[in-house]
Amino acid sequence: MKEDYVLQALAALAENDREKEAQPEVEARLLGAFHARHVRRVRRQRRWAGVATLAAGLLIALLLWPNRRPKPAVSAVQPILLVREAARPAPAAMTVASVTRTPSKAARKIAIAPQSHEIVTDFFPMMNPAPSFGRGQMLRVQLPAAAMQTVGLPVPEEHLGDSVQADVLVGEEGMPRAIRFVRFDVK
Amino acid sequence: MTSDEELLAAALHGDGAAFTALYRRRQGAVYRFALHMSGDPAVSEDVTQEVFLALFESGSRFDPARGTLLSFLYGIARNLLLRRLEKKRPEDSDTLMEELAADEDVLDELTRRETIEAVRSAVLSLPAPYREAVVLCDLENASYEDAAAALECPVGTVRSRLSRGRAMLVQKLAVKTARSMS
Repeated sequence: MKEDYVLQALAALAENDREKEAQPEVEARLLGAFHARHVRRVRRQRRWAGVATLAAGLLIALLLWPNRRPKPAVSAVQPILLVREAARPAPAAMTVASVTRTPSKAARKIAIAPQSHEIVTDFFPMMNPAPSFGRGQMLRVQLPAAAMQTVGLPVPEEHLGDSVQADVLVGEEGMPRAIRFVRFDVK
Repeated sequence: MTSDEELLAAALHGDGAAFTALYRRRQGAVYRFALHMSGDPAVSEDVTQEVFLALFESGSRFDPARGTLLSFLYGIARNLLLRRLEKKRPEDSDTLMEELAADEDVLDELTRRETIEAVRSAVLSLPAPYREAVVLCDLENASYEDAAAALECPVGTVRSRLSRGRAMLVQKLAVKTARSMS
């Protein structure tokens, strides 16, 4: 009987407080935090997706390159000549011009303008067909010299394991679009 | 009606409307649980806010096989409350209750509201393990299973804590109960 009374009293308390809830300000604060965190999360995911895609693209490219070795006849060409070789007109799918016209803020920071001591090849597309290019970033990476073979650049057999620097153009969506190789003139 | 789980899944994908709907559906229960556990509206609001922030941050950890989303929310709220209660011990309202019980003139004048407040104080004076069980099962009408999931203990433990908690409330409200029976 005593417990019955306690149960009744508890039921009365529950009924009394049934409508109690947090103030609307709590909801407003939560929604603000929700949107802010969601935006940060999306940005973080996009950044990682871009890095992952770039890495995957480069890996695939590296895996495919050994099957596209150049003819032995040109394997003895000096590296400096590679640049001249690359000076051919870019394939039609390339949109390098739009990169130089509208580089992103990050690209402006990262992109290294060719200087007197730095010799770069032209850009070689990494996507075929290449979708239209709006904005993107340029990333300087270090790759095995064998990577140059993927775009048809000759590399002496004994230098295949050497490291070369390359600029990879990454689209806004995180996909690698084009690549160019860099060589420093020792003069 | 969209289930809690569906709303949570949408919210975790950035759907603000789903998050709002889920919040509006469940914030009252979380707030009242915190209120009955702490007795402090400000603390209850803070805890409610932190519970839903935690839900957004780690909602992917929710496992429907282990209980309802509401019990998951109770569990988060409980952990937050226990941390706060450890930092700041609530006033021992046993003294208050004894004084109330000893003073029959005061009890004579108790209105329904005063009775409610007396019960509220009695609940707040219970040790945390018993208070949790009483608040969840008797005040929020949670099932034993949901309470067990929230309190991370077996159903049998919930039953025994509830029984013990009620017995302690009987003691604390003994005089009032006796008068009611007479």
